[in-house]
Amino acid sequence: MISLWLGAYDQGLAYASLALGTYLTLRVLNFADLTVDGSFALGGGTAAVLITNGVPIPLAMLAAMVLGGLAGTVTALIHTRLGVNDLFAGILTTTGLYTTTLRVVGRSNIPITDITPVVNWPTLGQGDDGRWGVALTCVMLGMVCLLALILATDFGLALRSIGNNPTMARANAINQGLGLTIGIAAGNALVAMAGAMVAMYQGFADVTMGIGSLILGLGMVIIGESVFRPRSVPLALFAVVVGAIFFRLMIAIALQLGLEPVDLKLTTAVLLLGAMSLGHIKLPGVNASPLELASEPAALAGSEGEVDAADPSQGERP
Amino acid sequence: MSLRVDQLSWGHPVPGGSWRQLFRNFDFLSPSGQFTVVIGSNGSGKSTFLNLLAGTLRCSTGSIRLNDQPLQQLPDHRRARRIGRVMQNPLEGTCPGLTIAENLRLAAGRRRSAIGWRALTGVHPSRGDRSRYRELLQQLGLPLADRIDTLVGQLSGGQRQTISLVMATLGQPQMLLLDEHTAALDPKAEATVMALTDRLVRQLGTTTLMVTHSLDQALRFGDRLVMLHEGRMLGDWSAQERQHLTPDDLRKMYVSANVTQNS
Repeated sequence: MISLWLGAYDQGLAYASLALGTYLTLRVLNFADLTVDGSFALGGGTAAVLITNGVPIPLAMLAAMVLGGLAGTVTALIHTRLGVNDLFAGILTTTGLYTTTLRVVGRSNIPITDITPVVNWPTLGQGDDGRWGVALTCVMLGMVCLLALILATDFGLALRSIGNNPTMARANAINQGLGLTIGIAAGNALVAMAGAMVAMYQGFADVTMGIGSLILGLGMVIIGESVFRPRSVPLALFAVVVGAIFFRLMIAIALQLGLEPVDLKLTTAVLLLGAMSLGHIKLPGVNASPLELASEPAALAGSEGEVDAADPSQGERP
Repeated sequence: MSLRVDQLSWGHPVPGGSWRQLFRNFDFLSPSGQFTVVIGSNGSGKSTFLNLLAGTLRCSTGSIRLNDQPLQQLPDHRRARRIGRVMQNPLEGTCPGLTIAENLRLAAGRRRSAIGWRALTGVHPSRGDRSRYRELLQQLGLPLADRIDTLVGQLSGGQRQTISLVMATLGQPQMLLLDEHTAALDPKAEATVMALTDRLVRQLGTTTLMVTHSLDQALRFGDRLVMLHEGRMLGDWSAQERQHLTPDDLRKMYVSANVTQNS
């Protein structure tokens, strides 16, 4: 039984990087990036080919991230330089990436038979599952800290402003095109890293493994945000990672309850719908209705006096 | 930091397939530090003129020089480094999802490149930044000094516009463009923002253009009053000349210009 929970925990962390990449593009940059579906498989395929050919795991992961970043750069350039809508730019790149991944992998799927870990991680008495758990926890903790630090610098502030109010960002001399390009590249590098980790964890890479990745990543982000309602960037990053674990736990529970693997996609969709509705369902004494939530920010409607009367602690960062 | 506009032309397509040439060989000169108030009826080209100066719109011909340096060739973000802007809509000038301190930090860094390696050094806004901003808001007599970590989205329209105005004056802009920045505010907030505008413009000594529909503001603020109509300058008064004008005089000019145009 514990192996089931540990397996779900490991899978959640392997997918957490996908959730972080989705958070970066969708929440920070406000860019609906469909490249994710392609860069996830590209990352997995690249890592699988390199590891199979004896390249050390860190180098294989780095190569996967670089290729993922390049895929993101292509989408960003199509959008910023050619003026193509964000969704279409992502679809175009993802379509092209299917062929790219097939070329990289050489066939539709590739097994990863021999993984030689660089660090001898402790097993915590749980065998390979325990070892994966420790390794992935360390990697994701490092990743969350690194991202939190980057997003707290002037560079991170500029990226957040691009997603928050592009007009204001432009008026404050922020190079929006370059910011979007770097942000989308970084997001896809994270997604490719998730692809590499998932491929290593499941022992193979498949060219179709990326299908539905965006909605998966979005679901993890939404679950994390619904549960924690974070009010700062570091907390949001943490929430997103925990959201990924919760998501895999929910899948594990569904499978444990006797769900057949063919019903998994429908279950995923229902779970995501449930997570999305969390913020809209009014529980008496627990949360406010959507209407009340919408009227919270005084924004345009209010005068000086109105806001002075409001609770000044609202919106304060903890 | 003088502003010189020579032979500026700009037009736009209108429904029906025809073309409206709004500005035709338009000239404008503003000496360094001058505070110009621009008035005119809807569609006269006031906001368009500001957008052409800011680079949001590109003129078809003519030149715009700020402190003898041409602005047109500069990419948007480089042009924006020299220009502080406050928009009409309080929602446009600030980032609602960032705190007051974060918004001020963004504006203060206007002269630096925010997308680059150097921008990765240090966590900002730091404690030092925050205490500086708190002090700045206190000096300006703004009650927001105690709410530096409040999300801007939680502020009222007037408060947001105040922050937007302070942001526009940070980072040593060479020109300040205020586009009907009090239009969406109630009278109390309007008075607060206009008093702050006057104070900041005087303190900064930056060449400033303020577009307004308020004749009261037009007759009270600035060193010069300009009236635009259909992309032409219909009137140009210094502060002394303006003293002889009344709101009724300006209203009559609006009406007669529109009557002439329609006939």
